[in-house]
Amino acid sequence: MTLFRRARRNKQLVVGVILAVVIAVLGIVGPWIFGAYDKQDLLSGHKSVGTPGNFFGTDALGRDLAARATYGIRISLIVAISVTALAVVLGMGIGLVAGYVKGRVDGVISLVIDFVWGFPLILVAVLAAASIGSGLLPVILAVGLVNTVAIARVVRGEVLGLTEKDFVVAAHAGGYSTSHILLRHIIPNVIPVALVLSSYYVAVAIIAEASLSFVGLGAQPPTPSLGQMVSDGRNFLRLNHWESTIPGVLIFVMVLSVSLIGDGLRDLLDPRLRTAVERASAK
Amino acid sequence: MKAVFRRTLTMLLLLLVSSFAVFAAIRLSGGDVTAARLPASASAADRALFRQQVGLDKPIINQYFTYLRKLATGDLGNSLTNNAKLSTLATEKIRNSLILGGSSMVVIFALGIPLGMLAAMRRNSWLDTGITSISVAGMAIPNFWLALISIYVFSTLLGWLPSAGQGGIRYLILPTLVLSAEGIALTVRMTRSAMLENLGQDFVRTLRAAGVSERRIHFKHVLRSSLMPLISLAGLRIGQIAGYALVVETIFGWAGVGQALVNAVLRRDYPVVQLFSLLLVVLVTFGNLMATVGYTVANPRLRK
Repeated sequence: MTLFRRARRNKQLVVGVILAVVIAVLGIVGPWIFGAYDKQDLLSGHKSVGTPGNFFGTDALGRDLAARATYGIRISLIVAISVTALAVVLGMGIGLVAGYVKGRVDGVISLVIDFVWGFPLILVAVLAAASIGSGLLPVILAVGLVNTVAIARVVRGEVLGLTEKDFVVAAHAGGYSTSHILLRHIIPNVIPVALVLSSYYVAVAIIAEASLSFVGLGAQPPTPSLGQMVSDGRNFLRLNHWESTIPGVLIFVMVLSVSLIGDGLRDLLDPRLRTAVERASAK
Repeated sequence: MKAVFRRTLTMLLLLLVSSFAVFAAIRLSGGDVTAARLPASASAADRALFRQQVGLDKPIINQYFTYLRKLATGDLGNSLTNNAKLSTLATEKIRNSLILGGSSMVVIFALGIPLGMLAAMRRNSWLDTGITSISVAGMAIPNFWLALISIYVFSTLLGWLPSAGQGGIRYLILPTLVLSAEGIALTVRMTRSAMLENLGQDFVRTLRAAGVSERRIHFKHVLRSSLMPLISLAGLRIGQIAGYALVVETIFGWAGVGQALVNAVLRRDYPVVQLFSLLLVVLVTFGNLMATVGYTVANPRLRK
């Protein structure tokens, strides 16, 4: 069976992709349809879902929740995807070097990995916010650093294992160049792991951005962020719970869709990855 | 044994580096420290004097050595906000965090393992589907939102449990459940897949052929070989709990290390940020070390 046909039969992957497409469309088209996210109208605050003109209702300041939520999705997606893409490229590079060159280079890289590994992601983000001030930048730096290290750690382990495999040893004996071995034998075997990990780390990035913004250290007003919207709405749960529920559900669906895609990809590409990935996603 | 010793030594060295990294990071900020303590009307001269008093006018490296020297004599310093002695402040916060973190750790394994076993033993039944779906959802739900929902349902609407603060065991229930939710979900998944993997192994076929009862195979043989790697990785859960404690403690007004840390960052109270971040890093590094050692012990094949 071709990969595409197997992919279509993979329920998790299909559901994940559908949800991801819906979210992406909301994030891309939403802000454009629903208009300005910061237009205040103090006389029409706390409107419920389905109010004409305000599809998702309004918040305490009368700002349109649909516009704010979709703009929040856009920010969340941009942050999560760009940071993870960078982390995958860097992390794979570092992991490849450490695992393939071994020796002293590996020693130094592993030391740095162990060092960063001692800091929980949220703590790194909080410290970054303490150092350069609250906003999206500390979140981006923290998530980038921790995810790069997390990916490098797994890739290094994989590469170390691969270099001892017979086909790599044989290629060495056959006199093939390092670049040939890396490109033809090592990297193709590392890519599935990196692909699966990257979807989990997109999820981690989304949650981290939302959590930090919820606590007040992430995106600063007037920039809308889903985490910050949940926090804004928490005092009005009895009055109009949608102010918190809508951004909350959106974060949940975003994270759910990427985790489903991750699980689906894992089963599709290599079921043996199961334990490796679960160990790695422990943070 | 020698490897464990070397690793421990490396970890101690790394902790020293971490302490400097934290120290330098929070001092690099352009923000005004004096805002934590002095009123907005304080003059520039007063602010300079305050900096001098707490030693913030010296180069970072000098400050760091002063800090280490004091630390060696057991002097943790004072809070910039209210000048309280950190040693007194820390004892109470650490105790509170240990109560919350410890009970979450217990709940993670006490709920996660039986549920994972149940799902594996009734594979593909509605029970399995239910448990697996909830655990997928449990990993996707952000814990601050779960906290809000549970506060709204169990304290605002139903009035069963208090929404925030310290007190008896009733105050502990909601924060513990929220803090452990992701860990439970992960443990369920790991238990389930480990059990399924082991059920397909040759030794199970041999046991069946020898006429050993299914119950005995499940509970004695499969469970044991599935749980060893799982429990050996318990150290990694410490890191997870420590990170999320910052958020969960803040929401539930739980007077622990996490809440104190977030507040201190918002107020730029350096000594507090420093002490509590280091505490967390020590804890997490220790957890990671335990996991590495534990995993090697549980998997003899990894010993080389």
